[in-house]
Amino acid sequence: MYSWIRVSLFLAWRAIRRGGKVGTLLNILIIAMVFTNMILLSAIMTGAVNLFHEQTIDYVTSDIIIKPGEDERTIFQTNDLLEKVNRVPGVSRASARYALGATLNHKSESVSIPITAFNPRDEVKVTKIHQEIIEGDFLSPGDDGILLGFFVAGYEDQSMDFFESLGGVRVGDPVEVMYANGYQKEYRVKGLFSTKSYQADYMAFISWEEMDTVLGRENTESTQILVRVIPGEDPATVKTRLLEFGVQERVETWEEAITKVVADSLETFAIINRISVAVSLIIAVVVIGIVFTIKTINQQRQIGVLKAIGIDQNAIIGSYVAQVLFIWIFGTILGMILLNLIMIYFTAHPLEFPDGDVIPAFELITMLENAGMLAVASAIAGYVPAWRIVRENTLTSMRG
Amino acid sequence: MITTTDLYKTYQMGNVAVHALNGVSVSIKEGEFVGISGASGSGKSTLLHMIGLLDRPTSGGISISGLDVIALSDQEKTIFRLERLGFVFQEYALVHELDAFENIALPMMARGETDERISDRVSEMLASVGLQERGKHLPKELSGGEQQRVAIARALVNDPDILLADEPCANLDSTNSKAVLDLIREINQESNQTVLMISHEDWHQQYFDRVIRLKDGEVVEE
Ligand SMILES: Nc1ncnc2c1ncn2[C@@H]1O[C@H](COP(=O)(O)OP(=O)(O)OP(=O)(O)O)[C@@H](O)[C@H]1O
Ligand SMILES: [Mg+2]
Repeated sequence: MYSWIRVSLFLAWRAIRRGGKVGTLLNILIIAMVFTNMILLSAIMTGAVNLFHEQTIDYVTSDIIIKPGEDERTIFQTNDLLEKVNRVPGVSRASARYALGATLNHKSESVSIPITAFNPRDEVKVTKIHQEIIEGDFLSPGDDGILLGFFVAGYEDQSMDFFESLGGVRVGDPVEVMYANGYQKEYRVKGLFSTKSYQADYMAFISWEEMDTVLGRENTESTQILVRVIPGEDPATVKTRLLEFGVQERVETWEEAITKVVADSLETFAIINRISVAVSLIIAVVVIGIVFTIKTINQQRQIGVLKAIGIDQNAIIGSYVAQVLFIWIFGTILGMILLNLIMIYFTAHPLEFPDGDVIPAFELITMLENAGMLAVASAIAGYVPAWRIVRENTLTSMRG
Repeated sequence: MITTTDLYKTYQMGNVAVHALNGVSVSIKEGEFVGISGASGSGKSTLLHMIGLLDRPTSGGISISGLDVIALSDQEKTIFRLERLGFVFQEYALVHELDAFENIALPMMARGETDERISDRVSEMLASVGLQERGKHLPKELSGGEQQRVAIARALVNDPDILLADEPCANLDSTNSKAVLDLIREINQESNQTVLMISHEDWHQQYFDRVIRLKDGEVVEE
C-alpha cells in the first residue's frame, strides 16, 4: 500500500514537472476559474443576505421584536411593559410603536399604508432610521409633523417609483391623512429618510403625542415593541431572559421575525447558488476529463509497459489521480489569489444593488467546502480515464 | 527451471482461428541463455508473453521453478513479474518523464526499497551498463542504444531470476546491438540469470547456449 502510493506520487510529480505544460496549465486555470466562480457567486449572495439582515436589524425589527399575544391586536399597558423590558439584563433600550391604517393624499396621488407612531427619544436608541435622513429633520418629541420613507414620497416621474407614491412630495409640502378611525388631518412633511430597505422606506412616522391627538385619548397600547440588546449580547439569549422575566407577549428575534416570503427568496438564492456550483463542477470534470483522456490515450503504451514490468495497477491509476490533485492544489491556490484581488476591489468599490451596497462576503467554510467538492470532482476526472486505459489488456496497450 | 507443456494459443479473428502456438513444449534450465528464432508470425512473441505471464494460453501448462504460474491471480502475477522477471522490449519503452536513474529506480520503488538502497543499487546498475554519466538524462536525451541499456538495467535492477527480451536489438545498429548482447551475456554468466531472447539475426546465434526455433507455432528443432 505505502509503496504504491510512493510510486504514484513519484510518477505524478515528475509528470507535472516534466510532462506537457499546456494541458497542465489549462487544467490549473480551469480549476482556478471554477473555484473563483463557485465562491464569487455565493459570496455576492452572502453579501446581499448580510446586507438584508443588517437592514432588517437597523431599520425594521431592531434585535428583538415584541408583538401582541395570540388573538390580541395590540399590546396593553405599554409603559409597564417597557419598564419591565428595560430592566432585563442585556437589553439596551426598548421602543414602543403604534400603527394605525391610513390613506395619505398629496395633490391627486394617494397611498394607503399604516402610519406608525413612536417616541423619538426611544426610537433613536433602537433603530438607525434617524441616521438616514436625506432631507429635513427626524421627528422630535411631541412633533406635529410627519416623517416619510423615500418610497412613500416617491418621484414626480412615477415611472421611477417601485411602489405607489405621493408623486414626489418634499419637506414642507402638505400631506392630507385620513386615518382608519375616521380622523382626518393635514400634515407638513418634516423629513424624508432613505435606508434603501424596501420595508423601512415604505413607512410613515408621527410622534407618540400626535397619535394621542389622532386617537382622542392618552394611548397606552402599542402594536410592537422594538428591543435593542447591548452590543455583544446574543438576541436569542436576551429573548429567553425576556420570557423568564414574564413577558407574556410574542417575542421574536430579528431572525425569527423575517417574514416567510423573505425566507423563501433567500432559499431561492441558495438554490441558484447550488445550481451554479453544480454547473461549475461539471465544467471542471468535463475539461479535466478530456485533457486526461487524451493524456492517458497518448500514454497507453507506457501504461502497458509499466504493467508488464510489474507496477501495480492502483499505483498507475493513482499517479493520474495524484497529478489531478497536484493540479487542484495549484488551481485552488491561484483561485484564492484571484478571490483576494477581487475582494480588495469590491471592498473599495461595492456592488451597487437597488437595496444598497453589497460587499461580497467570503467565508472560510464555504471556501473549504467548495475546494473539497472540487477535489472530489477533479479526482474523478483523473481516475476514470486512467482506470479505463489500465483495465485494458496489457499486450493490447503495449501495441499502442 | 521453466517448463511449458503442450502450449496452445489460438486467436479468434471473426470466423478465422489463428493458431499462434500449436503445442509448444520446451524446458529451459536455470542459468541458460536461450535464443528463440523463427520467421515472422511463427509465434515467438506469443511464447515469450505466455512465459512472462502477460497472457494466458488457450491450453497447456507453464511452470516456473515448480510453480504453476497459470493458476496465479492477476495481482499475484503482477507481483511475480515484479519480483522474479525482468523484461526488455523491442522499443526501449522507458517512462518519458523519468530520467535514466529514475527509470531504473522505479521497480525497486514498487518493491518498497529504501531511498538509500535504491540509490546504491541504481548507481551500480548504471555503471554496469556503462551509463554512470547519464543518470540525469531523460530518455529523449539518450541514443537508442543508451535507452536500450537503461531498459536492460531496469529489467535487472530487482535481480530477477529470468530475463525475457523480445528483439532488444531490433532498433539498434550493429555496434549498439553488440554492446547490448555483450552486456546480457556478461550478466547471464556473472549472476547465473536465465535469459530468453528472441532474435532472428544469424550473427546473434553465437551468443546463445541453445536456440529454440519456431515454425507456425511449433518447435522445429532445438
Ligand atoms: N492479439 C492478436 N490477435 C490476433 N492474432 C494475433 C494476435 N497476436 C498475435 N497474433 C497472431 O499470432 C501469430 C503469432 O504472432 P507472434 O507475434 O507471436 O509472431 P512473432 O513470431 O513474434 O512475429 P514477429 O517476428 O513478426 O514479431 C501471428 O500470425 C499473429 O498474426
Ligand atoms: Mg514478435
